[in-house]
Amino acid sequence: MNVSIQPALKSLQTAALIVVVAVVGIFIGYFIDFLVTDSPEVSAPEQPIAFSHKIHAGDNDIPCQYCHTEARRSPSAGVPSVNKCMGCHNEVATESPLIRQVSEYWENKEPIPWVKVHDLPDFVHFTHKRHVQAGIACQTCHGPVETMDKIAVHSRNNEGPTLLASSTGEIMNSETSDVGATQNDHWEMGLCLNCHKQHDVVDGKAVRVDEGGFDNGLDCWTCHK
Amino acid sequence: MSFLDRITEGWRKNRKPGYHENFDYHWAMTIDLDQCSGCGACVTACQAENNLPIVGEDAFVKGREVKWLRLEHYWEGEYPDVKLNVIPMMCQHCDSAPCETVCPVSATYHNQDGLNTQIYNRCIGTRSCAVYCPYEVRYFNYNDHAWDSPLDQQLNPDVSVREKGVMEKCTFCIQRIRQAKDNAKDDGRRRVRDGEVQPACVQTCPSNAMVFGDRNDPKSQVSRSLRDPRAYKVLDELNTNSSVVYLKKVEAEG
Amino acid sequence: MPNIDRRDFIKLVGAGGVGVGAGVVLRESIKHPREHLIPHVLAPEDYSSGVATWYNSVCSMCSAGCGISVRTREGRAKKIEGNPSHAVNQGRLCALGQAGLQVLYNPDRLTGPLLQSADRGADGFTQITWEDGLTRVASQLDVLRAAGRGNRIALLTRGVGGHLAELLESFAEGVGTNRLFHYDYAHPHALYAANERFFGEQQLPYYDLSNTRHLLSFGADYLAGWLSPVHHSLGFANSRHGGDNRGYFVQIEPRMSPSGAAADEWVPAKPGTEGILALGLAHHIVASGHYDGDDIDEWKGVLSAYTLEKVAEETDVSESVLQRLAESFANASPSLAIGGDGAANNSNGVDTLVAINALNYLAGNVGTAGGVVFNPNPAGATSHDHQANYRTLAQLAASARNGDIDVLILNDANPVFTMPLASEFKAALARIPFIVSLSSFIDETSALANVVLPSHTYLESWGDAFPEHGMGFSIGAVSQPVIAPLYDTKATGDIVLDLARRTGNPMPWDSLEDCIKDGWNKIYQRNASDTQTDSFESFWRALLKAGVWGEKNHRSNDSFRPNASAIANIGVDVPVFSGDAEVYPFVLQPFLSTMHDGRAANLPWMQELPDVMTSVVYGSWVEMNPKTAENLGLAEGDLVDVESTEGSVRAPILVYPAIRPDVIAMPIGQGHSNYGRYASNRGTNPLEILSPLVDESSGNLASNATRVKVVATGKHIEIVKTSGKSRDLGRDIVQTTGGSDHTAQTNSIPIMVIPT
Repeated sequence: MNVSIQPALKSLQTAALIVVVAVVGIFIGYFIDFLVTDSPEVSAPEQPIAFSHKIHAGDNDIPCQYCHTEARRSPSAGVPSVNKCMGCHNEVATESPLIRQVSEYWENKEPIPWVKVHDLPDFVHFTHKRHVQAGIACQTCHGPVETMDKIAVHSRNNEGPTLLASSTGEIMNSETSDVGATQNDHWEMGLCLNCHKQHDVVDGKAVRVDEGGFDNGLDCWTCHK
Repeated sequence: MSFLDRITEGWRKNRKPGYHENFDYHWAMTIDLDQCSGCGACVTACQAENNLPIVGEDAFVKGREVKWLRLEHYWEGEYPDVKLNVIPMMCQHCDSAPCETVCPVSATYHNQDGLNTQIYNRCIGTRSCAVYCPYEVRYFNYNDHAWDSPLDQQLNPDVSVREKGVMEKCTFCIQRIRQAKDNAKDDGRRRVRDGEVQPACVQTCPSNAMVFGDRNDPKSQVSRSLRDPRAYKVLDELNTNSSVVYLKKVEAEG
Repeated sequence: MPNIDRRDFIKLVGAGGVGVGAGVVLRESIKHPREHLIPHVLAPEDYSSGVATWYNSVCSMCSAGCGISVRTREGRAKKIEGNPSHAVNQGRLCALGQAGLQVLYNPDRLTGPLLQSADRGADGFTQITWEDGLTRVASQLDVLRAAGRGNRIALLTRGVGGHLAELLESFAEGVGTNRLFHYDYAHPHALYAANERFFGEQQLPYYDLSNTRHLLSFGADYLAGWLSPVHHSLGFANSRHGGDNRGYFVQIEPRMSPSGAAADEWVPAKPGTEGILALGLAHHIVASGHYDGDDIDEWKGVLSAYTLEKVAEETDVSESVLQRLAESFANASPSLAIGGDGAANNSNGVDTLVAINALNYLAGNVGTAGGVVFNPNPAGATSHDHQANYRTLAQLAASARNGDIDVLILNDANPVFTMPLASEFKAALARIPFIVSLSSFIDETSALANVVLPSHTYLESWGDAFPEHGMGFSIGAVSQPVIAPLYDTKATGDIVLDLARRTGNPMPWDSLEDCIKDGWNKIYQRNASDTQTDSFESFWRALLKAGVWGEKNHRSNDSFRPNASAIANIGVDVPVFSGDAEVYPFVLQPFLSTMHDGRAANLPWMQELPDVMTSVVYGSWVEMNPKTAENLGLAEGDLVDVESTEGSVRAPILVYPAIRPDVIAMPIGQGHSNYGRYASNRGTNPLEILSPLVDESSGNLASNATRVKVVATGKHIEIVKTSGKSRDLGRDIVQTTGGSDHTAQTNSIPIMVIPT
C-alpha cells in the first residue's frame, strides 16, 4: 500500500517555519527593545535638570572637586548636595527656568534625583580616593567633561592609555580635550586594565611585589569585591 | 616585562606550591582550640560583615546553608567520660589548594597575598571546586536571596551580594585587608601594621582564640603563634599547605 | 517559497508576534536597572559618602552592658563591633550583640503608635497619632493620680539601669505608685540574696576568672549566659595560657553546657545537689587542715554532717573525685568557685550559693585577685533594686486578679512567655482594664495592650549603663543613637517624660538626652579632680568618644570575716522537686539558648546560628542520655510529649551524650505564638510546664525543679542540624595534647583593633 509522506513532510515544514519565525522574532524583539527603551547602555541619559558641565566646568572653570568634594578622600566622588548649587544660584542666573527648577527642589527640601551615568556593576570596587591622590586627572576616565552639555560615558581608549596629570599636581580641568577615554556605550573593564597593566604607582603611594607575579593592581581582588 | 612575559612567568611558577616566589603579604590565621568556647560569635560576625544570606529552614534541611565559618562538633567518649570538641572551620586558604586547580574559568586562584580568591562574576557555577575542597568550606548559591526590608539596609556596601549560581567562601575579609592597605597608603606607609587588619571573626572572638596576620613578618603575632609546638593543620596529610593553623586543645589532668 | 495556506500564515504571524514579545521581555528582564544618585539637600557634618563613621554605644541585648562601636555608612548601621576601650568586653562581642542590627532593622518592628480597636489580643491594631496615644494614656494615669489612687498603676519593664531607671522611679513616684517592677527572666536573684546573706553585700562581687588558677563552676554557664559572658570569655582565655600555670576549669552540672564543654572536667552531679557537693568540699578542706582560721570550730560544727561519704551518696559523685577536687581547689592559689543557672534555680538555690561563697572563703579566695573581689557601689542605678522575682510577679498577678490594678505600663518585658502557665499570668493581665505597651515589637505580652506607644531600639536611643556585675571598680558608659530613628517612634525616656508632663508632674528635663547629660554632669562634678578635662562639655565629648568611663574606687582588700550567724546558717537541704518521682522520672533542665530567654527569637541570624552544643537551627529539642533513649525505645527525631504536673509540650528527642540518665533538658527561647515572622509558631516553650515552685529564701522561681515524664507520640520529624555524625572517626580533625606539650604564652597580648 502506498502511503505518501507528503502530508507529514508538509506539517514538518510548517512547524520548522514557525520555529524559525519565532526565533527570528525573539531577536527582533530584543533588538527593538534595545534601540527604543532607555537603559544604562544608552550613553547620555536625560537628567531631571539639564545641568551642563560645559557651562560650569568649561566656560566658568569651576574645578571638579569644588562640587565633587569627596573625590579626594572617599571611594565615591560624591554628588553635590542641593545647598551646594544654591550657594551660587541664590544670586547667579536666578531668572533662568533651569535655576528655578533647582530653587524649587531646595524650597521643597527635596534632593535632585540625578540619573547615574557612570554606573559600575555592584561587584566592582572603585576608589576615587586612590586614583585622585595618585595624580590622575578626572578626564582620563570620564572623558572631556568640560566640553559636555550632557554627561556621556567615555570608556574606551584611543591608542592605549594616556594618563593625564595636570602640571601643578593639583587636580584641575585638563587644558586639552584630547583625553584618554572616548565615548562608549557602556563602561568597560579594559579602560581600567590598560592603565593598571602599564603603570605602577610610584612615590611611595603603593605597595608592589618586586619580582614576578602580578602587581597588586592586577589582582582581581583589587577591584572585584 | 611585557604583560605576556609576566603571564608565562606566572605559568612557570604555577607548578610550585603556592605558585608565587614571594608573597607580598602572606596572610595566616591561628585558632587556639584550647581557648575556643564554641560560642558562635564569629559565625554571626561573619554573617553580618559579608552579607551572608538568610537561607531559611528548608535550605538547612537540604544541607544548603551558607555559613562561611562554621563550628564543627566532635563528641568523644561515652557518658560520663564524654567530651565535646569544637573547631571553627572556614576556607583554609591553602597554598596548594585543590579547588584552584579545577576551576575551568579561573574564578578562583591564589593571589600575591596568599589568599585563595573567589571572583563572583567570573564563576559559572560548575561547583567542581566544592567537590575538590577536602574541608567542604565552599558554598554554592542555589537560590537568589532576599532580605525582608529593612534588613537589607544592614548589608555591607564593601562586599558583593551574591546571586544564584555562584560559589562563595571565606575571603579572610578581603574588604578589610583592602581598607587597611588603603589606610596605610593614606598614612604614607608602605606596609600594613600587625594587628591593623582583623577579619570579622577574629575581631569579635570573645575568648581571643583567633590570631590573624602576616606570616611574612617574623615579628607578627601570628608568626609567633605559628611557631607554637601545639600548632597543627587539619587534614595535613593531604598536603594542602593551609594558611589556617590550629593549636591543639590541651587535656589537662586535675 | 513554499505554498502557505491561510491557516499556516496566521500561525506564522502569531509565532512571530510571540517571538517579538518574548524578545522584548527577555531584554527587559536582563537589563541592568537604571540607578540614581540621590544627594543630600543639606549635607550633615559628620558624613562623607563612601567613608564609614563610627559611634560608640552600649549593647542592650542582655544585662552585661558591653561597650560597642557601630560602623555606619550613609546613615545606616552596618556592623556592630566591641568597643576596644571598654573594660567589660575589650573590643569583643558575642553573637547576640552582633545580631543587634536585626533588632534595629527587623521587618516586624512597630512603626508608630497603635490603638487596639478589637478585643485585646486579637489583631485589631489601628494606627493613631502620638498626640492621640499620649492623651489617652495620660488621661488614664491622671485620673488615678488625682484621686490619690496612683497605686492602681503598675509599671513592668525589662531590666534597665542608669538614668532611665531613675527616670522610671521618679515617674512612678510622681503618679503615686510603688508598683514599679523590672523583670528579666535570667536575673540572678539567688546570687544577690546569697551575697547579702554571707558577705553582707548589696552588690554582686566581681569574679576574677582571668587570674584564677582553678575554677569550680557549679552550674554557672559563664561563657554563654551567666552575668557577663564576653568578659568571662576573656577571663577564661587569659587563664588558659600560662603554660604550667594554665587554669584548670571544672564544671559541675547535670547537663553539659557550653562552659562545661570548654572546661577541663565535667562532673555530672545530681540536679539540685550542687550545694551539698560544695559543702562536702568545704568539709574536706576544713577537716584536712587546709583552713586554719580562728573560727574553725564553728565551721567544723556546721559542716560536720557533710562527710565525703554522705555527700558522694547524695550527689552521685564518687568520694575520690570529691577529695581530688577539694584538694586541688584548696591548693591552687588563687582559686574561685562560682554558681548559677541550674544550681541556683532550685528550692535550695540561695543555700547552694551561700555554700559556694563559704567554699571561696575557706579556700582563701575572698578579696584576692583571681577570686572574689568586692565591688564598690555602682556609679549609677542598676535594675536590681526593682527586679521582680517570681513571687513578686505572682503577687502582681494576684493583685490584678483581685481588681487592684487599673493601668499597666509595659516596656519590653514578656512575662506571658517566660512565666509558667501555672502562674496564670495572662489571665491576670486580662483583668487589668487598661494596658499600654512601650515595646518596639508585638510579643505575647504587648499584644494584650490597649495602646501601643513604641520605643526606639537601643541603637536609636540615648541611654547609659553601669554593669551590675562590676569590674572591681565603678564603670559606666553612655549609649548614643547611631542613626536617625527609622520610624515614628520615641525613646522610652522621652515617652515617660511626656507622660509625666501630662500628668501634672513635669520632671526637670525636656528630653532623655538632657536627663542623661544632667546625670553625668553630677558624676563629673564628683570626680572633677580626677578627669583631665576642664569643663563638662569637653568631658561629655571625651566620654562619647571613648565610649566608656571608670572611677578609681577599688575597695580595699580588708580581710573579710563572716559573722557567726552567717556561718551558723550554712546548710543545704536536699532539693525538692515537683511531681512524684515514680510518675515523673526525669528532672527537666531548661537552659538559656542562642535566643537567650526568647527575646532574640525574632532575629533570623540567631535562628540560623547553630546551637553551641547540638548545632540545631530553627527548632526545639529534648536532650536525652543515649542509654535512656535506648531503654525507652526512642531515636533521634522521635516526637515526644514532655509532661509535668502542669501541662505538656511537644518536641523531638535529641540524643545527647553529656547529660545524666535521669535528667532531660530543653532550650528556652522558641515556642513563641506572636513575635514576628521568624519566631512565631516555631518550636516549643518548656517554661510553660514549669511548676510554680519557689525558693523561699529569695522568691526566685525554682525553674530547674520540675519533674517530667516523656511520652512517645509515635510521630517523627527530622531535626534540622548542621553537624553530621559528630564523631571524629579517626580523622584527627580536632587534635589534643596533654601533659608536657602545653606551652607558655602564645597569643596572650590582647589585640588592639583599629576600626576601619
